[in-house]
Amino acid sequence: MLESTILNHRQHVGLQKLSALAGVSHSCLGPNKKYKFIQDDVCGESALACSCFRIIESLELTCAVGQLVHETIQAHQNVYHTGSGCLLFLAGAWSRAALDCLQRGISVAHIISAMSEGMDVCMDVCRKCTISTEGLAVKRDTATSSGLQLQLAEKLTTNASRVSNVNHKTLNISEQRKIKLSRHFCETKPQPQLPDITHIAEGLSHGCDDTMTLVVEAFQRLLKTNQQDTSQFMFDISKVVTCVLPGLPEQHACVVPGCVVLLSAEQTLVAHHLNEQHLKVVLINGDLSDTYRHLGFKRLKGVQRVSDQLSASSREDEWLAKVVGLLLNLEVKLILVSGLASEKVIQRCCTHHVLVVEKVKVSVLKTFADSTGAIPVTYATQLSKHCVGSGAGVKIWRDLGSHDSKSATAVNVSAGMSSELVTVVLTSCVHGKLQALEDQFWACAYRLHHALKDRALLPGAGRTEMLCIHHLKQLVECSRETNHSQQTTRGTAANHYRGVVLHLMAEGLIDYISTVMVNTGRFSKVKARMVLSRQLQNCNKHLGISENFSQLFLEDDGEDSAVFSEMKPVEALEIYDNLSVKQEAWRKALDLVFLVLQTDAEVITGVGQKTDAALENVTLL
Amino acid sequence: MSRLDKKSPSLCTDRPLDNTDISNKLNLLRQLLKSCFGPTARLKQVHNNIGGHVVTTSSSSVLLPVISSSQPFINLIKASILNHVSRFSDCGLFAAIFCLALIEQAKRSGLRGNVSIRVNKHLLALCSGYLQGEDCGCKVKLDFCSSHNLITLARSIVSSKPACVLTEQETLHISKLAVQAFLLTVPCSSSGTVSLGKIVTVSVEGYSVLTSVVFPGLLVDMPDGLCLTKFDYLSNPIRMVLFSTSLAGDLSDLGDGMIEVHAGVDTESQILDQLLELGKQVVDDEVKLFVCQKVVHPVLQQYLRSHGIIVVERVGITIMEPLTQLTDAQPVATLHTKIPSKAYGKVRELSMKQFGSKTMLHLQPLGESVICTLLLCHRNETMLSELKVVCQKTEHVLRLTLREPSALLGGGCTETHLAAYVRHKSKNEAPEAASVLGCSQTEYLLGVEVFCRSLEFVAKALQHDGGNSLIDLTHAHHWTLPADVLEEHMEDSLGFCGCGLVESSPSRKWTFLDTKYTEFLPLALVGDSRVQPRVLDSFTAKLSALQVATETANLALDVRYIIQDVN
Repeated sequence: MLESTILNHRQHVGLQKLSALAGVSHSCLGPNKKYKFIQDDVCGESALACSCFRIIESLELTCAVGQLVHETIQAHQNVYHTGSGCLLFLAGAWSRAALDCLQRGISVAHIISAMSEGMDVCMDVCRKCTISTEGLAVKRDTATSSGLQLQLAEKLTTNASRVSNVNHKTLNISEQRKIKLSRHFCETKPQPQLPDITHIAEGLSHGCDDTMTLVVEAFQRLLKTNQQDTSQFMFDISKVVTCVLPGLPEQHACVVPGCVVLLSAEQTLVAHHLNEQHLKVVLINGDLSDTYRHLGFKRLKGVQRVSDQLSASSREDEWLAKVVGLLLNLEVKLILVSGLASEKVIQRCCTHHVLVVEKVKVSVLKTFADSTGAIPVTYATQLSKHCVGSGAGVKIWRDLGSHDSKSATAVNVSAGMSSELVTVVLTSCVHGKLQALEDQFWACAYRLHHALKDRALLPGAGRTEMLCIHHLKQLVECSRETNHSQQTTRGTAANHYRGVVLHLMAEGLIDYISTVMVNTGRFSKVKARMVLSRQLQNCNKHLGISENFSQLFLEDDGEDSAVFSEMKPVEALEIYDNLSVKQEAWRKALDLVFLVLQTDAEVITGVGQKTDAALENVTLL
Repeated sequence: MSRLDKKSPSLCTDRPLDNTDISNKLNLLRQLLKSCFGPTARLKQVHNNIGGHVVTTSSSSVLLPVISSSQPFINLIKASILNHVSRFSDCGLFAAIFCLALIEQAKRSGLRGNVSIRVNKHLLALCSGYLQGEDCGCKVKLDFCSSHNLITLARSIVSSKPACVLTEQETLHISKLAVQAFLLTVPCSSSGTVSLGKIVTVSVEGYSVLTSVVFPGLLVDMPDGLCLTKFDYLSNPIRMVLFSTSLAGDLSDLGDGMIEVHAGVDTESQILDQLLELGKQVVDDEVKLFVCQKVVHPVLQQYLRSHGIIVVERVGITIMEPLTQLTDAQPVATLHTKIPSKAYGKVRELSMKQFGSKTMLHLQPLGESVICTLLLCHRNETMLSELKVVCQKTEHVLRLTLREPSALLGGGCTETHLAAYVRHKSKNEAPEAASVLGCSQTEYLLGVEVFCRSLEFVAKALQHDGGNSLIDLTHAHHWTLPADVLEEHMEDSLGFCGCGLVESSPSRKWTFLDTKYTEFLPLALVGDSRVQPRVLDSFTAKLSALQVATETANLALDVRYIIQDVN
């Protein structure tokens, strides 16, 4: 069966849906995020969500546009872990722009070509206003006086437009390489400066200062233990583990070297027994139970076991005896399992003082494999001498002292003396908040990770967006001027539309910034827009300093930006955004709009004869 | 005990084309497919009624298989078009739209069914003859000395699917890659029968299209990051073995029914022993690369790795054929006998390639490589899957050019040109043709009009933004006039014709496609090699599509009753 809805082009339902869906992202933008309750009417369960991707995940979206949004955000989240709110908001804002265009009678082809052009402009602006992370290190060292800071900040934002006379402090990566190649600079140039992590992290915290402090601490601990090559200054996320502890106040969150896991009461006894010893360890990639089979193994169906004698022990017991025997033979004291372990195994191991840790991340297994020499196996029966690693340790980290709950003690499992792993312990008295805190932590961690990977940052707090708006509006002016001068020539209409589309696209960005400003709680929507338009006007008047926008989200009511930054330079914390994350989120938002904009029908498969009576606007084929 | 139901009588539909339900559905299908046609097409979101994954597409090869109707009549047409698509990949939408237009126009003309059918057959022969003839005005000879026309052909196909969301630059990049990959599959040495290689497509999500690349040789996914063997140096050539059977250690294909097993017997460990026996032979035979289409038991994997063998499992059925071609290995389908030595294959070089989150093993053949891997990247899954479909289609079309090195002018120019030619030709030979076909001249000319209008309908279907379609009165090429241009500025805004071969000039005359024009013999453009067409269509695919569409339409016009068993 097939359903097909031919839509009225001027009222594109898909775009309207997209715009409506994007509404949920409003409260997720900016430094002051608001929690949302999502309640299931059927079973009465509810969830607390703070990030855009959690909200979309919790909503069961069945419409095609909803699915598309879900897939896009999921894909973005899996790679970047941040920026999904921005993605969804802009998808909504630009879908409204596209709708507006359709209502003005602009054809889909014109909208797409103009919006693509607008995106190219924005990408170009992003590329040009990047701030090198290496440049930042210098800046912090030398520019202590506020005047110089201001001057530098201005240069940073315009460095690409003045590449020729820019000083070495603000060079971006490619330029730096060029200089390295020159023999004149070779001798005099010092080693590449380490980026100032604290400064970058502060700028990227976007309101989650406490969480960012944890990230920086985790990063510095990793740096200490792993002694990385300084030329590849990276934040290896795979070495970071989170452990959430409910019931403790949030100030108790901390960073611990090693891998902290929660253990049940009886396992705690084993841990006490093994405390601070050198242990032999095995790694199981899969479940630790007799019924587990590797992926792709097809179980036999319809097998009946016949026996000519009464057997005393079951197959499970036989397997258990074999495994425990093997473990004792190999003198293993610690088992890390990526999946689950059966209750019986855990109990039997406890009696032999062998500690079983379940649900260990694969990346942690890999670290243990690297540092203890253990080889991960799928089946415990497969274990042999050379699969066993040595030098692992177990240390009681904290007794949480709860009486009834399963997780009583937090234990630190480490792979040898110099543990490569770092655990971030997140705590909260409100159980429902833990997920949000964990998400927030990963968002911050990935922001730092991407900053170091890109080796570049964007000016944050709306400055990049303002720059894009400024450039888009200039383009609009340009197309208007050419319109006047060449009234009759070819492509006039297209050119005219281009101006309209680009203008609406810029409006989408203005909408974004003003929403974030409103979210800060210091502005009303009207006031925010007023401030923005004044800034844009200012910048048109003084072309010389045109690119010097102030950080809008920090700004107090109505004060002039220039005055503001001169008067309170100490408070003016520099805010940054991630380059790759922003570019990718924008692109994906526009891709989403394009896909929906170009769609004029839904084809629904599997609609039965009976159900279709309920569906309106449906044509059956 | 089963209950007996009274059988309901069969449903019989008389003259299905006059049935309102059927004609409504045909109309809907035509609208649906028409809106998918060409580079500015509208997309369709395909999903099932309980949510699920959404596919956004405008390709007939994706869209048609999911459309199923309660009307066997619709399914008949669909099946016939799909059959064409499976053989030629390209021009599926052309065939479908032309076929549906022919049916609709024939019905509207009021011609007797058998007259329409005969005229259609006659005109099809006329068209095929003209297209295959030397003096065809809408055909371009492909020159393999330069890649220019090949890239144009590839680009026309790539740009015809807007769900890929490509920029101009990206379209060109993908087209060049497609041609490059195609050329890599053509062997250089030409002794005896030439067999073409294969392009294996690997897709990586989340990266810019411009990072897409072609590698000679094969890239095989190594999904399991945990058990990567490190290898430094391997003696050249590297011996390898290829299994097509599952080595998971299960007894999967025992069939239905109960099996009684003695409690003391452990079938699993017995099979594992057999597997390890196999592993031992492989180690003894100094194999360094062990590839399996399906799952390899982890214990066997560990055994092989401990002997320094690289294990690749779950490569999938699609890779098997190119793998055998590249390595010269014979896939082993059983684990119960010794592996014959001639089953082993050889590889010249192995290396690891990291691409985003994917780790892949790069296999290079001993001799000349006719296997290559096209690594496609795009920002999201929806666009990537459409891009993959498009690239496979392009590969197929480029292959077809080897058999028939020609292409047809694209952008609707072939359709309008053909229509003009048919009109001219049949006007001149109306009396003879009518008598041969056993109908009156008026009937014949009406039939001609039906056929030509249907062809022009396809050309018009390229326009989705309310623009007008025009035809010039010398070469009969197709032109589009945007909706918002006034007729006074027409000359300025026309620019080039659909295929980009003819430029507008003040001396040129146009007429709207819907209007009647006095027939004329469309002129071919005489050898101005400086102007190259910008849009080309596959010759072989379009010729077949023309035939399939006409024959399907004739069949549809010929159906008198539909008898449906509804039990």
